[in-house]
Amino acid sequence: MFKRSDESLIEKAIGGDAKAWQQLVSRYQAPLYYFGLRLLGSPDDARDLLQDVLMVLCRNLAQYRGDSSFKSWLFGIANYRAMDMLRKRKATTEFTDDHDFYDDEAPSFEQQLYGQHTQRMVQQQLRSLPPEQRLVVELRFYQQFTFDEIADQLALSSNTIKSRFYAALDKLRTQLELTDVEQSANF
Amino acid sequence: MSNSQQIFEAWLAGKITASECEQQLDQNSEWYSRFQTAQMIQRQAKAAFFAPVPEIDTMSMFAQQWQRPAKSNNWWPKLSVAFSVLALVVSLSPLEMQMQDGGLTLSWRGGQQMQQQQLETLLASYRKEQQDYIQTQLQGTQQQQASQLILLKDYLTEQQTKERRTDMLELVEYLNQQRQSDWHYWQENYQPSQARLDTSAVYNPDQQRSGVRKP
Repeated sequence: MFKRSDESLIEKAIGGDAKAWQQLVSRYQAPLYYFGLRLLGSPDDARDLLQDVLMVLCRNLAQYRGDSSFKSWLFGIANYRAMDMLRKRKATTEFTDDHDFYDDEAPSFEQQLYGQHTQRMVQQQLRSLPPEQRLVVELRFYQQFTFDEIADQLALSSNTIKSRFYAALDKLRTQLELTDVEQSANF
Repeated sequence: MSNSQQIFEAWLAGKITASECEQQLDQNSEWYSRFQTAQMIQRQAKAAFFAPVPEIDTMSMFAQQWQRPAKSNNWWPKLSVAFSVLALVVSLSPLEMQMQDGGLTLSWRGGQQMQQQQLETLLASYRKEQQDYIQTQLQGTQQQQASQLILLKDYLTEQQTKERRTDMLELVEYLNQQRQSDWHYWQENYQPSQARLDTSAVYNPDQQRSGVRKP
């Protein structure tokens, strides 16, 4: 079926078309929620983030000028809000890793291949990264943004983004090797 | 930017395959381990599966921000207003309802008199308008005539002056011609006789001139 462009849906939504708005939201609701879930580690926080971002989106729908892709613009808002939440939360508590947001009832082919254990391990290691590095890894691997797009969203230079990205990879590598050693020792 | 970084970024951008990247980074342990880590996260990202997305009431947000309240189709208030206006018009206008011989008659109170008054007013205003128009036209014509008369007078005066001057010039010319012809006549008829008289007069020591000179 013919898929309407984001720009066309925005235009219609601004004109008061509720269906267009619903379509736009349903297109980005899941990626935004999972983004929050991975970045914040808590379903409640991810829900709050999603609600917050959608509210900001609704209010500022007319502000989108089409200079970048809509997804990039939307995640620019999400990044800012998520980092704000992380900063606020850092002052109070460190998040725990026992949030189980995997769907145990519907294992996929990849889940069977790599195992839920590996996935959880990678997620834990990702969450142990500093928020700035975690955000870059999330945007590059999970949201498929280019370095330039990420730099644009975070208002930083492309080189800064790359240095954060490579620092995150190095740190993850070290942590994963350590975990492997620990598991081998326990085994 | 190092060569290894370029290779790694080319793989990330999907320009080369994983096996090509692996082969080219084989000698550089730092970039090779980065590649392996990135590959692992990428696989994990593709295999991600999560619990269902929570429901959020986005429609109320949207309605509050972008939707205008639907127009009410209730026609009772409109009907009520219409009847009120009609009642007001009937009460203020000279409309009369009369029950007569079991029938209902609608008529305009003082209709003829009002019509006559309106007609007279209209006629009076028309008359005044016409008079004003004629007066304006008359004044315009008078002004035009006066200015034309002045122009005519100036023209005639000028013409008269011109004619008088021409007459004087003609008179002077005529007199000059007369004098000229007198002179010729004298020259031809009297001058030879005078000359003869002058030479024959031996005993005339007091010779006098004729006094006639050529003009």
